[in-house]
Parts: sequence; C-alpha cells; structure tokens
Amino acid sequence: MNRLKAIADGQTFESVIHPEVLSREPVVAIKDFSLFYGRKQALYNISMPIVKGLVTALVGPSGCGKSTLLRSVNRMNDLVESVRIEGDMLLNGDSIFAPSVDVIELRKRMGMVFQKPNPFPMSIFENVVYPLRIDGQRDKTLLNQVCEQSLRGAALWDEVKDRLHESGLSLSGGQQQRLCIARAIASDPEVLLLDEPCSALDPIATGKIEDLIDRLRGEYSILIVTHNMQQASRISDHTAFMYLGRLVEMAETSTIFTRPTLSETEDYVTGRFG
Amino acid sequence: MVWLSGGMFAIACLMILSLLAFVLWQGLWTLWPRNYSIYSRNDGSILGGELYSKQSIDGQDKLYLRTGNYDISSRHFAYVSSLELSDETPWTDPDLWLVERKEWGNLYGFPKDLSWTKSAPEEFAKHVALGLQETSKIDRQLAVAKDQLKRTDHQIAQARLGVRRVELAEKVDLQNAVETGSVEGLSELAKRAIERLAERNLRADEAMIQINEQIAELEAKRSERSIVFELPIGQELGKLDADWSELSAGKLKDASGFATLLGIESDDNGAGISEQQISVKQVGKGHLLCKVQRQNEPVRRLSIRRLADNSASVSTLQEHSILLADVVRFFPPNKLGFLERLGIYASRWWEFLSGDPREAGMEGGFFPAIWGTVVMTIIMSMAVIPFGVLAALYMREYAKSGWLLSVIRISINNLAGVPSIVYGVFGLSFFCYIVGGYIDGGPRKAGFTPWPSPVWFSALAGLAILGLASFAVSVLSGQAETRRSPFRATLRWAGGLLWLATLAGIVWLLIRSPHFEGFYQAQLPNPTFGKGCLLWAALTLALLTLPVVIVATEEALSAVPNSLREGSYACGAGKWQTIHRIVLPYARPGIITGFILAMARGAGEVAPMMLVGAIPLATELPLDGEFPFLHGSRSFMHLGFQIYSLGFQSQNSEAAKPMVFTATLLLLAIVTLLNQTAIWLRARLRKRFETSQF
Repeated sequence: MNRLKAIADGQTFESVIHPEVLSREPVVAIKDFSLFYGRKQALYNISMPIVKGLVTALVGPSGCGKSTLLRSVNRMNDLVESVRIEGDMLLNGDSIFAPSVDVIELRKRMGMVFQKPNPFPMSIFENVVYPLRIDGQRDKTLLNQVCEQSLRGAALWDEVKDRLHESGLSLSGGQQQRLCIARAIASDPEVLLLDEPCSALDPIATGKIEDLIDRLRGEYSILIVTHNMQQASRISDHTAFMYLGRLVEMAETSTIFTRPTLSETEDYVTGRFG
Repeated sequence: MVWLSGGMFAIACLMILSLLAFVLWQGLWTLWPRNYSIYSRNDGSILGGELYSKQSIDGQDKLYLRTGNYDISSRHFAYVSSLELSDETPWTDPDLWLVERKEWGNLYGFPKDLSWTKSAPEEFAKHVALGLQETSKIDRQLAVAKDQLKRTDHQIAQARLGVRRVELAEKVDLQNAVETGSVEGLSELAKRAIERLAERNLRADEAMIQINEQIAELEAKRSERSIVFELPIGQELGKLDADWSELSAGKLKDASGFATLLGIESDDNGAGISEQQISVKQVGKGHLLCKVQRQNEPVRRLSIRRLADNSASVSTLQEHSILLADVVRFFPPNKLGFLERLGIYASRWWEFLSGDPREAGMEGGFFPAIWGTVVMTIIMSMAVIPFGVLAALYMREYAKSGWLLSVIRISINNLAGVPSIVYGVFGLSFFCYIVGGYIDGGPRKAGFTPWPSPVWFSALAGLAILGLASFAVSVLSGQAETRRSPFRATLRWAGGLLWLATLAGIVWLLIRSPHFEGFYQAQLPNPTFGKGCLLWAALTLALLTLPVVIVATEEALSAVPNSLREGSYACGAGKWQTIHRIVLPYARPGIITGFILAMARGAGEVAPMMLVGAIPLATELPLDGEFPFLHGSRSFMHLGFQIYSLGFQSQNSEAAKPMVFTATLLLLAIVTLLNQTAIWLRARLRKRFETSQF
C-alpha cells in the first residue's frame, strides 16, 4: 500500500516491467510518455512495449488513465483542444508524435473500437468498407472482397451476409460491436485498439466478442482496455496494471494474476481494492 | 394540478380549433353559390341579396346581404334589420340570374331581352352561353393586339435607352439630333443609335395604326351585343284603385287603371291583358311581384305594394343593360340543384386559384399573388440555405468554442426574435436604396462620394498586399496547427482579422470606385433595382429566416453523436470527409426541417413585404415566359400582403371581407402544407437512423 500512497502523493515511481515482456519485439513502443489536460497531468512518464501478435490488456481502477493511454496511441486526444504531451511512441519504429507525422495517415495504420458500438448511419456493407471509401477506393470487386473478409474475420459474415445493404443500425448491440471490429480490421491495421469493447454488452454478446479476440490473436496485435479482471485473465497474453496515471507493473498475464512482483498488483487483481 | 394543467390544455386546444374552424368556415363558405332572396321592406321598397350572415341582436335579426348591382346601387353589401322588413320570409324567384361581370362585380336581375336575337325567355341561357363563346374569342384577339401594342412600346423604349446610353458614354446631348434627325458631326455609335430609334419609331407608327384600327374594330364588335336586365329595384308607376285582397288573389286584370299604367290600352288588336298572361307571387304581407307575359313582347315584372287605404302602388323594375362581353359567369341561383351548385363552387375555386384579379382584387383570382409568393419563397430559400447551413457548420464543427462564439450564438438567437418590420426597414434602406442605388447608378446614386482615380488605384494596390498577407498568414497558421506550435492561437486570430480587413477593404473600394457608373444609368431617374422589388424582398426574408436556419442546423449538428465523429476519425478520415460522409447525412432531417420551417415563416411574413416590394396589383408576373424569365427588379403580388391590402386598404373593405377570408384560408393551407411536409420528411428520414440497440 505504501507505493500507492507514494503515487498519490506525487512522488516519482519506477514501473516494474518483467523481462519476458521486454524481450519480445514490440509493435508499439511507448517511450517516457506524459500527457496533460491543460495544467492537469493525466499520464506520468509511461514506458512500455505492446508486443507484436499478442493481446495486451490495460487494467486499473477508474480514472487511472488507461483509456487516455489507449487513445494516445492513435492520437485521438488531438481532438481535445487543451491536450499537451511529452515523450513519444513508436509504431513499428516510426514516431507517432513527431511534428512531421500526418495524423490521418497514422490513424489509417490502426483500427479502433469504442466502448459503445458506433456503427455509421449507412448500410452494413458501407460501414465495413468505410476506411477504403475515404481513401477513394471504388473498385467494386475489391470492396466486396474486403467486406466479406472483414466480416468473416469479425465472425459476423454468416449472420449478415443476406442483408449487407440494410442499415448498420438495424443490428443488435453485440452484432453492432462486431461490425465495428470488422470496420477496424478492414484496412488491415498494424495494431488494434479496443477501448472497453464489452462494457455496453450483455454476457452472451461479451462472450462472442471474447471468442473473436481469441481468434484474432496472432494475426493482429491488440491493445485492450478492460475493467473486468476475469476478462483480462481470459483473453490477454500481457497485462499492464495502471494507477493514477502511472504504469505500476507489466508482465505476462499469468504472472500478474498468480505471482506479481508487487503486492499492490496482487491486491488489485484479487479485488482487495479498486 | 392535473385539473389546472388539463384545463389550460383544453383552453389552448379550443382556441386553436376555433381559429381553424372560423377561417375554414368563412373561407370555404364565401365562394358557395347561395339563393338570392327578395325581401319586402316596411317603406314599401324591395331589397334583394344573397344572405351571407344573420346575427341576432336585441331581439332583432341583422341580415348581411350581398346586394350586388354596384353600378346602380353603389354598394356590394348591405346590412338590414328584421324590424325594417314587413316579412322575414323572402321570395326566391327561380327566374332570377346572377351575372359575374368583368367590371362592377355581380349583377342580380331578371333577363328581359337579348339585343342580338329574338327568343323566348326559356332560351336565354342557351343564347348567352353561345354568345359568350364568341365574345371570349374576341377578347383573346384583343389581348393579343394589346400585347403587340405593348411590345412595340417596349421596343421604342429600348431604342431610346440606347440613345441615352450613348449620351452617357460620350457625354453629349443628343436630344436635338433625335428631334431634327440631323446626325452630322456625331460619332458612329450615336448615329447608329439615333437611326435605330428613328427606324423603330417609323415601324411602330405603321404598326400602331394597324393595331389601333384592329383594336377599335374589336372593341366595336365587343360592344355589339348586350343583355337587358330588370333589376329588383322598383320605379313607381302609379296607384291602383283596387281592393288588396282581390289583388293578392291574382285578379289584377280587373283592377282599374292597371292596363293604362302599363301602357297596354292602345294595343292595335284591342286585346288587353288576359288572366293567363299575369302571374302573381306574394313576397311579403303587403307586397306582390307579378310577371306580365304577352305575346311578341318581352316579359315585364312589376312590384305592387299595399297602401294604407287598401289600394296599391305599382312599380316597374328598373332596367339595366350590360355588355355580353363583360359576362364572366351566369346562372339562376335559385333554380340550382346541389350538384350544379357544386360545379359552380368548383369553377369559382379554380378561378380563384388560377385566374387574374378583377375589380382591384376583390373579385376573380389570386394567381399572381400565389405565384409571387411561391417565386419569392424559392429565391429566399436559395439564398438562405447555403448561407445558413455553412455558417452553422462553421460554428459547430470548425470554430473553437470560446466567449466570442457564445456571444455570436446568443446574438443569432436574439436576431430570431427581432420584429419583422425591423428587417423590412433594413431591407428598404440597405438593399433598395444603397445596394439597389449602387447597381442602378454607381456609388454616387447610393450616396457615396467616389475617390479620385489615383487615390483609388493606390488603395487597390494596398488591398492586394493585404490579401496576400492574409493568405500567407493562413498558410502559416495551418502549418502551426499540424505542428501544434505554441503560436497557433495567435496566428489563427491574426489570419481571421486579416481576412476580415481584406473583406472590408473590398467593400470599401467598391463603394468608393470612381470608375463605376451603375448598370442602369440610362434608365435613371426611374429606378430599376433602387426600389422595392422581388430580389430585395427575397433577400430581406432570407436575412429574416437566417437565424431559424442557423439555429435548426446547429441543433441538428449537435444531435450527431460524438462517437460517430470519433469512429470516423479513428478510421483515418479527415475533417471534411467526416462532415460530409457522417455528420451531414445524419443531421440532414434536422436541417431540412429547419429549412422548411424557415420557408413557412418566410411565406407568411407580411410586414417587411410592405416595404420591400409587394404591391396590391401587379400587371406583370415576376417569373414568366419573357426573356430573361426571372425578373428580379419587378414588384410582385404577395398573398399575405394581399390579405392586408384587401382587408384594410381597398376602397371597399367591407365588400372585400369574404375574399380576405378565402385568401387567409389559402395562406393558412400553404403554410400548413409546408409544415406538414417538414414533419413528414423528418419522420421519414429519422426512420433510417433508428437503432434497434438492446
């Protein structure tokens, strides 16, 4: 508990990252990253790798900055006027925050899924191929191919293949979220960012999404924010525990849940606080 | 509480319903053909009219009658109290005709004679109908001839304008040359203009003679045929010394002096009046109407009333002759069945919707007013929609929120509440006098002193530099934005201010230009755009409805869930791609609703129209088949203004009242239709975005 109190008091804090994580090749490398909302600091000197081909879960109590960190990866925080950052992240070796980076091109290299399903008010087909449409892609065969591939990838194809031209809003909540995942993987992203994708879904839909994430493992590198410890333990390969804007401990999921280095981590994952 | 709120709700409903019912009733009932009733008054005279309404006040009935026959009685309508009547049950004569005329309004009377043919009274209707077909042909020819006359006039006016233009361009006085025809020492241009005017004049003179002859001929033909009517207005002939009870029993023939009064005694055959030739109908208690029908003579109608000593006074009905060509529609109102009435009702509505006004708008159609309203509303929408939607888009999607934006937003909301007459005054003083004057005759006409040429050109150079500077700053600011440089806010402000200054400079240079004399200099002092006209009316209304459109669009944009925008950005879409692929489609129903509401508001607005271009009677339509088809500089008729001018400004507002209600109904119908369309459209588009979540 002392370390948590130290963090709350604003003392500097050294994250514990286990070597088995550091030894693998990262798809996104976060380097000494801090973020401020106006004067208020939300993230403190975070350094961590997101390993290629694996599922990394961000856990921690509400307001610990895990969503902010996730949204920093594809620079969605740019949309907030008062945001200022320090440090950098690298996407496959390319800087994300360098001034010369075209943020639109950057976002095209990632896919993102939000808490609440947000299908666009257009047909299922158009929803899936939206990332290609904004690139000006008009080739019908290619669009059809990508649509089927992405929907199959998101385990939605069999449910919607006969009504691709109905509104995306006509689907159920779980289907809508899988549609959003299909949209996110349509442009073949280098990393997939999932921001509590199951928090607005019922248990059955949640189960389907978790199965889907399990299927996507290996093919895509996934960073997922979750509130749900069981979910993190079920689906992730690596887990990072955050607290008040700091990364506390990061390791393989089994390590975090069974024998973490820090007692604070153990307290959190066993539900003793948070 | 439930009672209080429920009661208020009921009262509100009642008020709306009674307003609707009142306008509907009055508006729908006006054009219905009623019976024409003849009443007998205590003073012995008779009074006829269509009963429009009946009110009971203090134990007496007040009847509101449409008496017609304006050219004789100099009134269209009359109030009569039941106390003045000897009997309240009227006589409705089946032989009576209602004639709607091109001039003087309705005529009610008994057809007595047709000037062009001898026929039995039963055949009158057939002959009149046949005759009308011919007169309408003549009227069409007349219209063509008059149109030609107008065109010739127009050509001469154009040629004169040509001369005037040369005068203005070369700063010479050509008046003398035009009058004498000597063109020596003048420029080639002036010579050509003067020659053209002379040639046009010559051609017009020839054409005029021909056309005027034709017109005179047609007019003569037109006035050849006339119909004689006996109007239900008595003219005393004399007294009959007879017993009233016998008279009322129909024994008129025997009454002493009756034949003498009618001038029948001196008949060559020695035949007086037989019993069969007289038919008598009792109107009131002391009043008879009788019809004398002798062979080879037109039918005569008499009004006979009882005097105090049981004798009777005889009056003939006043005769009145009208031209067949003036007849628009005729029918015997008291003889009609329901279906025939319905037919006349429909034909009157058709005329109302598609015909030109007669009698300064009190009769006939409202088509020019409907057309004017529609054209004006369409131009207004074309002006306000792009403007309002783009402004709202900027405020909601691009502008950084701050105190300035809040102030602007509050100002726009307040603008929606400014009384419309204020916009009218603004439109008149700004659009008509300043902008219109500028278009007509350059800066001087708009009230600005132009700068000397060198000053103006140096200012132009300065403006060019300012424009380049703003462009440069905008580019810099764009780069600073992507780099998130600390100077980006400063640069943004500087860029905005520079652009504003450039815009102001452009306007300033325009109004100080010494090199612009207006597009319509030659027409002066007659204003072309420097007066109330269609264009300025539409722009004034556009300004008036701009807040409605901006507010509605902003609301529609803010109703677009942010998660959709984020989703789009996360896919790598740019700002404009997000707006045009996601935000605008989603906000479309709201935007369209706002737009239709603005249209409805604009179509119903009257106060500003009075100042910026609506007139009670326009001879030309603002949009017609004549090049360039849309005439922005013409004044026009407007439905709302028409209601006002008919009801309060016409020489006989009382007579115009029924028409006012019909026009009100029409306006209400148009506005309701627009609003319903808005609601329907919104519901339809919303359905597409409905989500079946959970």
